[in-house]
Amino acid sequence: MSVAAEPSMTGDETAEFPAPLEDPRPALRAMVHTVRMYVVRDIDEFRRFRGVIGNLVSQELHVRYQRSMLGFLWTLVNPALMMSTQALVFSRLFRGIGGMGPWEYAVFLFSGAMPWTFLASSLTECTTSLIHQEGLIRKIYVPKWIFPLARVLIQGITFSLSLVALFVMLWPLGAKVSSSLLGLPIAMALLGIFTMGLGLIAATVHTFFRDFGHFLGVGLQAWYFLTPIIYRSDFLPADERWKFWLNPAYPFVRLFQILIHESSWPPAWLFLLCGFIGCATFSAGYLVFKSQERKIVFRL
Amino acid sequence: MPTSNLQTNADAADSPARGDVRIDAREPKLHGPVVRHIAEFPAAGRSRDEAVVRLQNIGLKFTSYHDSHPSLKRALLNLVLRRSAPATNKTFWALQGIDLTIRQGERVALVGTNGAGKSTLLKVIARIYEPTVGRLTTRGRIAPMIEMGAGFHPELTGRRNIQLNGALMGMSRAEMTAREPAIWDWTGLAEFADLPLKYYSSGMFQRLAFAIATEVEPEILLVDESLNAGDASFVDKAKRRILDVFDKAKAVIVVSHDLGIVSELCTRTVWLDHGRIVADGPTPEILDRYVRAVTGG
Ligand SMILES: Nc1ncnc2c1ncn2[C@@H]1O[C@H](COP(=O)(O)OP(=O)(O)OP(=O)(O)O)[C@@H](O)[C@H]1O
Ligand SMILES: [Mg+2]
Repeated sequence: MSVAAEPSMTGDETAEFPAPLEDPRPALRAMVHTVRMYVVRDIDEFRRFRGVIGNLVSQELHVRYQRSMLGFLWTLVNPALMMSTQALVFSRLFRGIGGMGPWEYAVFLFSGAMPWTFLASSLTECTTSLIHQEGLIRKIYVPKWIFPLARVLIQGITFSLSLVALFVMLWPLGAKVSSSLLGLPIAMALLGIFTMGLGLIAATVHTFFRDFGHFLGVGLQAWYFLTPIIYRSDFLPADERWKFWLNPAYPFVRLFQILIHESSWPPAWLFLLCGFIGCATFSAGYLVFKSQERKIVFRL
Repeated sequence: MPTSNLQTNADAADSPARGDVRIDAREPKLHGPVVRHIAEFPAAGRSRDEAVVRLQNIGLKFTSYHDSHPSLKRALLNLVLRRSAPATNKTFWALQGIDLTIRQGERVALVGTNGAGKSTLLKVIARIYEPTVGRLTTRGRIAPMIEMGAGFHPELTGRRNIQLNGALMGMSRAEMTAREPAIWDWTGLAEFADLPLKYYSSGMFQRLAFAIATEVEPEILLVDESLNAGDASFVDKAKRRILDVFDKAKAVIVVSHDLGIVSELCTRTVWLDHGRIVADGPTPEILDRYVRAVTGG
């Protein structure tokens, strides 16, 4: 196997520093080689550390919902209240957004706000995921990416549970059960990949610049209002609507809106677009993270 | 769920096909299986070179940042205003030119004055710190007892913490579940198994941490100053247990300022000073020189 020289922590390992992988020559081949080594090693480490990832996820869920199921229900109350307030206010304020009544508007809002909440809270948690685990990182070897990954997984689980619960609440109000709901797992996976890519970047930047969290908070707020979640894209005149597609989060939100609110299957190109944006973002995040991973322990 | 995955993993590991692949020392290895196969390795061309840990010309440079957590705001302003950031970061070599080979069965002590680089060296071997230059080889599962209870979570019960720590040391859930009774047995804390860790007394916490770290049967054990704590009965019990682990481990590296412990436990001593190896040899001889240098001047 060509990965023969690749080290492995709990088995035999030889590693040279500065890593010969990181050949500073600008040659494309050296870069490809480096990235390949990263990926091979991370796949191996994923297998070795999946127990740790599982533990991180279950310990967090356990701590959050330890007291009772009420813990989980409580996490639903917040978005449910927020959405019903918004549904009431906005359906009055912009009367007849695209001709939607308050209940239909609630379903529309719900279908876009849920994925957004997942994205925003994952990013917020990824930001501090590394410095919160300082104790661990400085005392024992762990691949650092398991921490942002665990945060995204935890948010993903919360996301799925709330999706189900809120859907049940909205059902009497006109949320339709249709075969298009079967597309939700695909949409969630695509959004998860996109989120993970951004989360890796957020975690890296925050480790080096500790005020990044503030910027992120403001940025997410602005991004939320720039994305057609509380309003529909026909808010803008027809010849300007293409601008929404410059927003990388919009295709994902749109995917959920079509699947839940419109109860129909999105066109294949939308899935492909989300897949493309997701993979590109993930690759970028992965590369940013890997280029800094070894320095993280020295900056905590 | 994970259990079934781990089960299949363990099953596959025992199959001869996968075992065979691993005979080549340079093949990448996964945790569970490796441990077992390495134990049978001597036949596979390893007899001549039984180095368990090898450091070649290892150097580690720390950068003390002028501003340990620079702000993004300032960085952006600097960028916009085309100011250059004040670059007064100081660098210093905490380890330099370390050549050290530790063979199967050796118990090595690291001694040296405060700040000599002992803990840093352990962290390099444990792969917590990546060295700046050099070449590092390790063979086998490493258990760093550098700081007790590294992977503990105060909100979780003792039982869950055992699982978490086991996972961090590369043990599967099944393996760890099998070892749990022994851990409770040794610590005598079975009745507290389902109590969140934050309600443990510090002594109880320490017992548990020590029991877990020694129960995972590490092949390379790294110990930093953790032998001298706890009440008298614990220290005595812990000493016996660690001797047990020392016998089973392939190599042990101990950092201690307690020269009594060093001469009692270690066959070989390495004396570090200002990040360099000053002397390396049989414990009595090196300790003698070290003590004379430190006290006599
Ligand atoms: N993360 C770090 N960043 C910068 N400098 C560090 C860091 N960790 C250790 N050092 C420095 O490296 C040197 C070696 O530290 P180390 O902890 O290895 O010493 P030691 O031999 O273990 O000392 P002691 O006997 O007091 O435990 C010290 O001068 C210390 O200040
Ligand atoms: Mg020390």
